[in-house]
Formats: sequence, C-alpha cells, structure tokens
Amino acid sequence: MSVLQDGIYHGPGRRAPGHLALVFLRADPEADAAAVDGALREVTTMLRGLADGIVAELPGHPVPSAGLEFLLGFGPKAFDIVGAKLPCPAALGPRLRFRSPRPTGGGPLLVGGGLSYAADVTRNDATEEFCLQLTADTQLAASRAVVELWKLLRGARTGDSRTAPLEIAGIHTGFQRDDRRSWIGFHDGVSNLDSADRERVISIGAADAGPDPWTIGGTCLVFARLAVDLDQWHLLPRVQQELLVGRDKLTGAPLTGRDGEGLPVPAAGCPVAGTTEVTQPGNEDFLEPRPTADPVLLTSHVRRSNLTGTADPDQSGSLRVFRQGYEFFEPVAAAPGFRAGLNFVGFQDSPERVLRILTQRGWLGGVNFGGQPGPDGPAGRLLTVRAAGTYLVPPVRDGAPYPGAEVFG
Amino acid sequence: MPFSVPGLADDLTPDLLDRWNKEIDRQFRRLEPDLGSQYFTLEPDDPAADRVAVTWFGNPAEPEFCLDAATARTLSDWGVRGRRALHNEYCEYAVISATDTEGRVRPKRVQVTTELPEYYLMLAEHAPARLREILTETLGTEPRWQELYGPAVADPQLLAPTQRRVAFARHLTGHGQHPDLIDADVPAEPAGSLNAVNALFMAHPINGLDDLIYIVMFGAKPYARRNSAGGFEPAGRDQIFRQQPGLEALSCRHADPAAALAAADAAFHGRTVSFADPLGMYIQQFTSEVFLFEGGPVPDPWIRLGRGQQGLAQRLEFGPSDDDPHFLDEITVVEGDTEEPLTGGYEVVRQVQVGPIVALGAPAQVPPGDFVVLADSTGPIRCRDARVCTDTVGPLKEAFDAEALRPGLLGSRPRGVR
Repeated sequence: MSVLQDGIYHGPGRRAPGHLALVFLRADPEADAAAVDGALREVTTMLRGLADGIVAELPGHPVPSAGLEFLLGFGPKAFDIVGAKLPCPAALGPRLRFRSPRPTGGGPLLVGGGLSYAADVTRNDATEEFCLQLTADTQLAASRAVVELWKLLRGARTGDSRTAPLEIAGIHTGFQRDDRRSWIGFHDGVSNLDSADRERVISIGAADAGPDPWTIGGTCLVFARLAVDLDQWHLLPRVQQELLVGRDKLTGAPLTGRDGEGLPVPAAGCPVAGTTEVTQPGNEDFLEPRPTADPVLLTSHVRRSNLTGTADPDQSGSLRVFRQGYEFFEPVAAAPGFRAGLNFVGFQDSPERVLRILTQRGWLGGVNFGGQPGPDGPAGRLLTVRAAGTYLVPPVRDGAPYPGAEVFG
Repeated sequence: MPFSVPGLADDLTPDLLDRWNKEIDRQFRRLEPDLGSQYFTLEPDDPAADRVAVTWFGNPAEPEFCLDAATARTLSDWGVRGRRALHNEYCEYAVISATDTEGRVRPKRVQVTTELPEYYLMLAEHAPARLREILTETLGTEPRWQELYGPAVADPQLLAPTQRRVAFARHLTGHGQHPDLIDADVPAEPAGSLNAVNALFMAHPINGLDDLIYIVMFGAKPYARRNSAGGFEPAGRDQIFRQQPGLEALSCRHADPAAALAAADAAFHGRTVSFADPLGMYIQQFTSEVFLFEGGPVPDPWIRLGRGQQGLAQRLEFGPSDDDPHFLDEITVVEGDTEEPLTGGYEVVRQVQVGPIVALGAPAQVPPGDFVVLADSTGPIRCRDARVCTDTVGPLKEAFDAEALRPGLLGSRPRGVR
C-alpha cells in the first residue's frame, strides 16, 4: 500500500499545525548510495522517536512531542548520488525546476514569470538533495527536531574531512497565523482547494507517474520563500491594496466591481449577519470570487491565482494546487531590522501546476503579485524570492525504512 | 438580438448576417426542447449584463489524461491525423513546413484557429465569392473552386445552395454531426486538403456551433444539492456531469466543465446566461513570453493574431513568414530550467487560452422551485476510465507506433509544404 506521507494536512477539517521548519540536506560529494541510505534510516528513525517524545540523549525521559510530524522530500540531485538505483523521475525533470539566481544575485525565477530572486540572493539552498518538512504545534518541538537532527549528523562526521553523509545546508522556519491573514493585512488561504478534491490534486496517480511507477501515491512539494516589501506595500492606499488583492481588507469579502468613483465594491451580503469576516461559518458561498467583467478586478491576485476553478482539478490543466503556506519573520541586520514574508508550500501531483500558474498570461505570468504586468506597477516588486525548489515526496510503503528507500537501499 | 459576425472579422451584407443569425437560431431551437432553461437566452434584454470571458487551455486534454503529457504532445502533433482525432477543445492547429537552404523540410510556423465551421458553411452555401475572398486574405493566395467544393466543382454558382453546402462540407468541414449533412452522406472527415494542410477553421466534429451552444445551455441551470441545514448550495462538477450516462467524460476535457460550470455558477445566483455579441470562440490569451528567439523575445511580426478585432481574435499564426529566412525550430520553448526547440503546435496551444464571451445578467433570488437538485456523486469521476481512452486515443497511439516502426515514414513526410 502506498500513501501520502504525514505533514500534508489535506483532509476535511484538518489545519496545518502552528510551526514549520523546512530543512535542506546536502549529501557529501563522497557519499555513495549506501552511505546516504544509512544516514536517512538514522534520520527518520530519530525523527520517529522524537514524534513519540524520545530524545536520544534522554533515555527514559520523554519530552512533549507537540504533534511533531516530518515529511521527506527528494530533490533532483538526490538521484545523482553515486549508486542511486533509480533515475531522476520525470516529475523533477529540468522543465519542472526553477531557474538559478544569477551569480551576482537576483535574476528571474522563471522566464515569463514576474517573480525574481532578491538582489542579495546568489545561492538557492532549496536545490539540495533532500528536504525535511518538520511541523509541530509548538516552535520548540519544530526547533528541537532541527537541533536533534544536527546532533545526529554531527555525530556521524568521520574521516579527514570530518563530514557526514548528510549535512544541513539551509533552514527556513515559519508559523501559521491564527488570524488567517498575511503580512499585507489581508486574509490569505481563503480560496484554497475543496477538501474533497485535494487528494486527487495532490496524490501522484498511475496516469501521472509515467515511467516512474514507484512514485505512485506520493506527491510533489514546491517551495518558495517569498519576502514581502512591506515598505512599498504600505505606501499604497487601502483602495489600491484592495484592488490588487481582490478582497475587502477588513472583512475579506471578495470584490464584485467598482462604484461610480472607482471604489471597490465587496460582495453584497458578505459577511453574513452575525459574522465579521469571510472566514467565519456561514460565509462559505463567498470564499471564491464570482465572475466579473471589471478589467481591474480581473487582474487582482485572487482572480489571477485561480482562473479555471471550474476545470476538473484532477487534470493538470486545471492548475489547481493544495497550498499549505507558512508565514515567516526573521531579524536582519539591515533596516528595518526584520524581513517578513511567506513560505509558499504547495503539494500537487506535478510541479508543473505551480510553474504554469507563475508563467501563464492572465494568471500570474508577468506579474509579481497582481495588477498589470511589468515591474513598474504598484505591486511590481512586492515579492522577492529568497529560495525555491521542487521536491518529490515519495509515498509511504509498508515495511520500508523510510519513504523512497528504493532509491538507495 | 441579432449577433454580429464572429470576431467582427468581416463585412457581410445584411442578408448574409441574417443567415448567420438564422443558423444560430436553428441550432438553439434544435437544442431547446431538451436543454431549454429560463436562465439561458439568446436574446439578453439586460443592457447591464456583464461580458465575462470563459477560458480554458487549447491543448487536447484527452491524450494527456489517458496516457501522459509527452505522448499527448506526440499524437497531437501527428499532422492531420492528430488534429482530427484529438484537437477537440475548440482549438485546432496545423504546422506549416518549408524547405531550408540545405534542402531540409523544417517547421516554419504554427497556425491556430478557433473559427466555427458553421460560419464558413453558411458562406459556402450562400456567398461563394465572399467565402473565396475571405480565404484568399487568410491564405495569401486565391484558392481554386475545386479546393473549396471538390474536384468536380469548377463553378459553385452552377449549383443550388444546398448542393454547395453539401459539397463544401464533404470537402472541407465534414458533417460536424449536422443531421442534414449526415443524411446527405457527408463523411465525418473532409476529403479536401486545404483545411488539413492549413488550419483555416475548425473541423473536428465537436468543435462546432451546436456543441458550443449545447454545453453552455446544459450548464445554465441552478444545479444544487441540499446542505446539512436543509438549504441549497451549488452542485459539484461530478454531480452535474453525472446526470446522464455518457456525460462524465465531458467533465474531463478542458472546454466542457469550464463552459458549463461557469454558466451553472451564474444560474445558481439567479443570473441569466447568454452569449455576448459577437458569438464565437476566441483566443483570449497567448503566453508568448515563454518562447525565445536568440535569447530574447520572439519578434512581434512572428505573432500574428487575426480574424477578429481587438480582443476577438480567432486565429493565431506563430512563427516566421514565408519570406523570412528563419524557421520555427529556431524558437525555443522555455519551461522551468530548460530551453527546447519548438517543433510542433502542441507546445504553442498549451500557451493559448480560448473560450467564448458570455453575458451574465444581474444576480437575483432563485425561487426554491427553480433549483435542479441533484443526487450526491458516488465519488470523483475517473478521467482515465473514459471511453475516449480506449476508443480514440489508444488506437491512435497504436497507429502511430505502427507507422513509426516503418522506416523513413515518420518525420520525413513534409507537412503543409507551401
């Protein structure tokens, strides 16, 4: 039996736990498949123990696991490890990968897209051999898992170079917001995929697997860490912000048009009596924006992100994805002293769905966030990419030591 | 409300325009007994109706869900065989080839069309000279009458209108499921080469005016299901397409769920649905940015939208013209971290979004008795189980593989050499 790994909260009523740590693991160039296999067995065994509250150096003294779950992803480079028994699956082929940043920093994430790497990003750490998604109800539980991982890998260092088969190459943390808003102040994740449709979009089926039947039952993770230029955003008046997003800033009601003065008009009757926000029960009919002829609203972010909501989500052409994003906040040396943004995490049967959303004209192609294409619009450079990558998330198989073990074991 | 010429592309006499409207009305009347709905009208009287574009991708969905994307591309690009079997998303294409200075036959450009065959049938029946003028403008050369009406027709004016309609259909459109043409023994596949070597207008049986009206009418009802509180909520896609046997597979294509569910969503909110004027299928978007030539954008003259005024194009020619020394395969398709030569049309129509423009009336309260309450679906529709996979896509793949095994046939045959 092949099933999706833990850490994808797609079922009805399930919400992702509050904290995320996404860890990218680099394989030592000298490590062969056997060494990597051994390391992955140890890593996953350790994390399973931690999910049960077991810390290696505290035998008999369990700690709260806080719902820790982990998910193991394989990047394209994983299949280049000497001795790997399976070739890189088609789902991770070059046409389904992001472009690299320029050596001098910056550069487009995709040709035809409106997202670029930040000017100071010269290295994309989301291209390493493996990624581990760690999710938990507390920041401590997610952080502890990272530290325990580091201790395990540190303990495996051997030889003259004092390297382990796997090393931590990058960590990105994030958290869920209990107000269901993003850093730009608007509701986010409101118009996500129906829970009944999610598994059909997420899970790699026989029709999707092509020459890689071993991936059936797995999924693909697309990650992009997107920093928001809050300084730029807060120069925009609320009306312009709402037209760019496509929702009323306070209530989250989808916009249906503009009045005679060009001011945005939220959907009538939303939120329903007794509620104040679209995310509250009773407003389900307002989660998805209704058709509009307004040319400005048609360019808003919420409409550009989902143009064929009526297509069969199972088909790649529907460009539906299951988003499980986590906001981030991190101190930096430069003013204003912090950086904030979104860890976009999408699960789908092929990264193609996300890559096409980002490049297709009328969708997000050519735009950074919303509005008219081009860098000179009000949201022209709102988002910059800090890291981005595509990973195969192999299915869980009965008796296998870890998902994807057939690649190395 | 009389509809204008599709795309406002041509100046027609009042008589011809009237005949076009009669054709639309005829198709509507034929469908009305089964699909009529107070939420669908051909004559919206609401001047404030919203003109909303309904869009989907132009690449054939069926071979991809039946097999895989790579095979879908191969089969769809298999010349006229691929076109007639698979190009059924109201978007057809042909690849025009030419010989380079070294004598190699190479792809020159891709022609994409969304034009409705019934419009050309109407012209062929009632205005042969106007038809030939229009096609001359599209082709750049004047076609012979025999290329339009068949080898036996040197002068269509000598035929009765109905004879012209049948002759033209036999040669260039096929029967398109029209009863009168089927009765006249017109085959499904046209015999002539002009609309096979070129993509002048659509000829796949499903890409017609009648199917377009059908799917929007089918959708334009307030389909509902009961929620746990006893109220109504919009029915799901699988429920709607499980009303009758045989409809399930329609939900797997790009076109039908997009058109039907957009109409259903409007009707659920009490909006009347109609086709906006002019009724037609349009190229709504073309993502040319993913194609590069010599590392930069493709030259503007290589992207030619036509057969329609601003925003109403029904035709796209992509690639160098005949007098340009370059070839289509000098353009690269950039996807993700790859750049590959462009050799066919499938990669082009993947970047094309097509669809009609509908007019939606103002929202209104739907009386409870108007809701069409559907039973819950028995799980999601499985597209891979659709009969088209075994009846059409599978045999086409087998035929392709068989031909590929015959040395020197595939890849060496010039397609659309002009």
